[in-house]
Amino acid sequence: MSPVETSVSTQKRRHSLALTVGLLLVGINLAVALLTLFWTPYDPLNASGGRLEAPSLLHWLGTDRLGRDLLTQLMIGARTALLVGTGAVAIGAAIGVSLGVVAAFATRLADDVMAATLDILIAFPTLLLAMLVVAASDSASLWTAILALGLAISAIVARLTRILAKRVLRQDYIVASRTSGTSWAGVVFRHVLPNIWPTLSVNFALQFGLAVIAEASLSYLGLGAPPPNASWGRLLQEAQGTVYTAPIGAIAPGIALVALVIGMNLLADGLRDIADPTRGRSR
Amino acid sequence: MTALLDIRGLTIRAGDKPLVSDLSFAIRPGERIGLIGESGSGKSMTAMAATGLLPPSISATGSIELDGRQVVGATDKVMNRLRGVAAAVVFQEPLTALDPLMKIGRQIAEPVRRRMERDGGKASKEAVNREVRDLIDKVALPQPDRIINSYPHEVSGGQRQRVAIAMALACRPKLLIADEPTTALDVTTQAEILKLLDRLVRETGMALLFISHDLPVVAQVVERVIVLKNGIAIEEGPVGSVFGKPHHDYTKTLVGAARLFDEALGTTGS
Ligand SMILES: Nc1ncnc2c1ncn2[C@@H]1O[C@H](COP(=O)(O)OP(=O)(O)O)[C@@H](O)[C@H]1O
Ligand SMILES: [Mg+2]
Repeated sequence: MSPVETSVSTQKRRHSLALTVGLLLVGINLAVALLTLFWTPYDPLNASGGRLEAPSLLHWLGTDRLGRDLLTQLMIGARTALLVGTGAVAIGAAIGVSLGVVAAFATRLADDVMAATLDILIAFPTLLLAMLVVAASDSASLWTAILALGLAISAIVARLTRILAKRVLRQDYIVASRTSGTSWAGVVFRHVLPNIWPTLSVNFALQFGLAVIAEASLSYLGLGAPPPNASWGRLLQEAQGTVYTAPIGAIAPGIALVALVIGMNLLADGLRDIADPTRGRSR
Repeated sequence: MTALLDIRGLTIRAGDKPLVSDLSFAIRPGERIGLIGESGSGKSMTAMAATGLLPPSISATGSIELDGRQVVGATDKVMNRLRGVAAAVVFQEPLTALDPLMKIGRQIAEPVRRRMERDGGKASKEAVNREVRDLIDKVALPQPDRIINSYPHEVSGGQRQRVAIAMALACRPKLLIADEPTTALDVTTQAEILKLLDRLVRETGMALLFISHDLPVVAQVVERVIVLKNGIAIEEGPVGSVFGKPHHDYTKTLVGAARLFDEALGTTGS
């Protein structure tokens, strides 16, 4: 085997390792989230032991200030995190990709206006934007948080889509395809979207992670999902006062959060390599 | 017989700068015409104008009738019914002219399906696949199963150009515009692609607008030539008389350069 082939195959192996680890991390999270729909070790809302118990066979991660099982809270938090990440990215992708593609086709003036608007929106920190939306709605719920994060993401996705789509539209194969009679709609669905997807999907994973973290921050500030939706952010907030006496209360949701975010990014990286066969090879 | 492509007084401008000035020529069904001139003389612009695909910053005035329909100022909707049907294009650089993320089989299938639907038939998956294989066969691509499932970067330059030709053929156009289809290829592959184009044009009876800066190449496949310099047609006529007895100095230098090149290669000229 030539050195070039070797390096390509090592690269491939590394990529598939990333994909495997990503799948594993996200898969575990998903499985736990689904499991909580039917079963949790203890009642998430009521005390099932003493306050701030240390980990034991009965309570693997111990209990919180109110004597509720921490593992149960953490498991329900996985469900909340997935819901927030998926929901926010879905909203952000639907609005952002549509706007971005329209902007890529728009006349010079309309495009400039849209680009400037998006830049202003993006200049607002996601969290601030989300806080404004949550504050504007009369009652904080999981859904207002998801909507708020989705809107913030849509601006970022729209700007990225616009840039990527414009780049694809300048390519020779677009003109070539048009000369054989492909309509603009055909160009968007057959060429533009598939060609921007590898980059977009990685960005979606990034936004997913940021949304999960932002929801945790909102919860931490008391603006997130109200009880009984346990969220990792609220667990972190509640553990704040007891971090020296019962550090597991902060460590466990912290690790869960980081693991899901990393898992999602690895998964997206792996998927991009599948979506883009030209990657990792000389062209 | 009415012309398939009838260009009259075509002027193409980028802002105020004229790229092509007052160009007129016509191609009748089945006719093979060469458009020659050095790089930057406006050949590609003329081809793009004929299919109504000039970049937005570039404007055309004059008249271009493609299959009886006016192209200058036509809407996209009108043009989309003409593109592929009246004229299809093969480009210079086959790598960038193919979608890098679409398998070759699917890229050929797209125009096949569109043509079948346009002809009123239902494009069943089997019929499309059969036609794709047929086309791959026609352009003499080896190992059809492998080619169909390959991405453009996985096949050679010559094979990519064959794929591009198959895609143009899939439209069954009345006019094939070939914009320097062999320029990006090595000499051996060039000869093969030329032979293929020549055979296909004769077999199908389509008209050909062959664009090149390379005189001997043009001479092999066309009947008449138009010599373009700085966007102005300076000479026009049958291949034999234009190349045999060039009037314009510019044409003379083109012919001279080609002759020198042939002598350097030790061939007797083509
Ligand atoms: N987008 C553009 N805007 C302005 N001028 C252009 C553009 N594209 C090409 N040109 C100019 O138009 C002229 C003709 O280009 P082209 O038709 O591509 O030449 P050819 O195909 O004969 O080599 C060149 O001088 C080139 O610099
Ligand atoms: Mg050119």
